Amino acid sequence: MDKQSGYTWKLGMFVTIGLLLFIIAIYFIGKQKNLFGSTFNITSQFKTVSGLEVGNNVRFSGINIGTVEEIRLINDSSVVVSMVIKDEVREFIKTDARASIGSDGLMGDKVLTISPGVKSTKVIENGGAIASVNGIEMNDIMKSVKKSVDNAGIITEELAIFSHSMNNGNGALARLVRDDKMANSVSNTLSNLESGTKGFSENMEAAKSNFLLKGYFKKKEKEKEKKQEELKEKKEEQKEKAEKAQKEKEEKAKEQKEKEEKQKEEDAKKAEAEKKEAADKAKK
Amino acid sequence: MILTLKNTFEEVGNATLFAKQFFKEVFIPPYETRQFLKQCYIIGYKSLPLVAITGFIMGLVLTMQSRPTLVKFGAESWLPGMVALSLIREIAPVITALICAGKISSGIGAELGSMKVTEQIDAMEVSAINPYNYLVVTRILACTLMVPILVFFADAIGIMGGYVGVNIHGDVNFRRYLTQIIQSLEFLDLIPATIKTFFFGFFIGMIGCYKGFNAANGTESVGRAANSAVVTASLTIFIIDMIAVQITDLFF
Repeated sequence: MDKQSGYTWKLGMFVTIGLLLFIIAIYFIGKQKNLFGSTFNITSQFKTVSGLEVGNNVRFSGINIGTVEEIRLINDSSVVVSMVIKDEVREFIKTDARASIGSDGLMGDKVLTISPGVKSTKVIENGGAIASVNGIEMNDIMKSVKKSVDNAGIITEELAIFSHSMNNGNGALARLVRDDKMANSVSNTLSNLESGTKGFSENMEAAKSNFLLKGYFKKKEKEKEKKQEELKEKKEEQKEKAEKAQKEKEEKAKEQKEKEEKQKEEDAKKAEAEKKEAADKAKK
Repeated sequence: MILTLKNTFEEVGNATLFAKQFFKEVFIPPYETRQFLKQCYIIGYKSLPLVAITGFIMGLVLTMQSRPTLVKFGAESWLPGMVALSLIREIAPVITALICAGKISSGIGAELGSMKVTEQIDAMEVSAINPYNYLVVTRILACTLMVPILVFFADAIGIMGGYVGVNIHGDVNFRRYLTQIIQSLEFLDLIPATIKTFFFGFFIGMIGCYKGFNAANGTESVGRAANSAVVTASLTIFIIDMIAVQITDLFF
C-alpha cells in the first residue's frame, strides 16, 4: 500500500497540473472572447462594413472593450452590426455615441471604434442602437485622386499650349522671348526711361530751390531731422543700459572667481594638514 | 507483390480487430484500476522530463528561427502570437506524440513481446486472468489519457521557452508576452489540437500493444516488435495529423 501511494500522489499532481493548464488556457481564451463575465449588446447600422468580421475587436477610447458578435444584412444598402461589450464600460457609453470602422495598422484587422458623443448624458441600454459614421473607403480616396489627376491633365495640356504659343506665336511676350530686335528695342526703351527719370529728378531739385516751394520742402527736412535725433537718443540710452549690465556681470564674475580661488586654497591647505596628520600618525 | 499487399492488408485487419477488442473489453468489468494507475504513472509522469525538455527547446528554437523573417517585415510584435499558435496547433502535439511513440510504444512493444515470448501471457490465460484486460486495456487507456496531458505540459513549457527566445534579442515583459499570446489564440486553435492528441495517445498505445502481443516466438522477435512498434506508431501519428488538420480545415 505504501509503495502504491508513493507513485499515486505524483500521478495525481501530474494530472492535476496538466488539467489546470488546460482549464487556464480555456478560461483566458474565453475571457478574450467575452464568454465569461457580464456583458451587454448594442447594435449599429452601417452602409458598408468594409471587411469587418465577426470576432473583430470593439474599441472605445483606444481600449478593447468587446467584440463584434454578428453582422447581418437587412436590406440592399444597410448592414446591422451587433457587438458584445463588457458591462463595466457601459456607464461611459452614452446614447449619442457613434460607431465607425477603421483598421488596426496598415495591414491589420478591421476594428470597430466607438467614439463618445457630446451632449447626451443618458447611459445606453442593453440592446440599444448607436449611430454610425461612414469610414473612408478606398473607393472614395480613389475618386478624389482621380479628380486631382484629371485636373492635373487639364493643367498640363494648357501649359503645353502656352509654351507652344510662346515658341511659335507672334504675340508680344513670344516675340520678347525669341526676337533679338524686340529685346533690343525694349532695352532701348528702358534706357530712355532711365535718362527721362534723371531729367525729372533734376527738375525736382530746381523746383526745391524755387522760392515759391522752398517753405514746404524746408518743413519736411526739419521734421526728418527731429525724428533722427530722437532715434539717436533712444539708441544711446539703450547702449548705456547694456554697458552697465555688462559691467555688473563682469564684476560678479570676478567676485565669484576670487571666492573660488580662496576656497581652493583653503581646501589645499586642509588637505595638506590632513596629510601631515596622517603622516605623523603613521610615524608614531 | 500481391503477397506483400495481402500481408499488409492482413496486418491492418488484425490491428483493427485488436482495436475492436479493446473497445469491447474496456467497458466490461473487472476493471484493473491499480494496474491502470501504475501505467498512467509510468507513461505520464515518467515521460514528463523528456517532454518538458523537448517542449522548451522547441519553443526557444522556433522563436529564434522565425524572428529574422518577421523582423524583415517589421512584424516583430507578432512573434509571441505566431510561436504560441504553431506550438499549440501543431508542434507540441506532434513532437510530444513522436517522443511518446519512441519511449512508450517501444517500451510496451518490448515488454509485451518478451512476455509473449516467455509464455507469460499464456500462463495468465491458464490462471484465469484475462491478459487482454490486464495488459492491453490498461496500457491503451493510460496512453489515451496521458498523452493529451503531456501535450498541455509541452504547450506551457514551450511557451516559456518562447519567452526566453523573445528575450534573447528584445525585451518583453512576461505579462505583455502572455497577453500577446492569448490575444492571438482562439478555441479553434486549442480544441481540435487537443482532440487530435487523444487519437495520438490511443494509437501509440494500441500499436505498441498490438506489436508486442503478436510477437512471434524467439528472442529476436522482441526487438523486432519494439522496433516496428516505433516505426508504425510514428508513421501513424503523421497520417492522423494530416487527417485531423484536413477535417479541421473542412469544418471551420
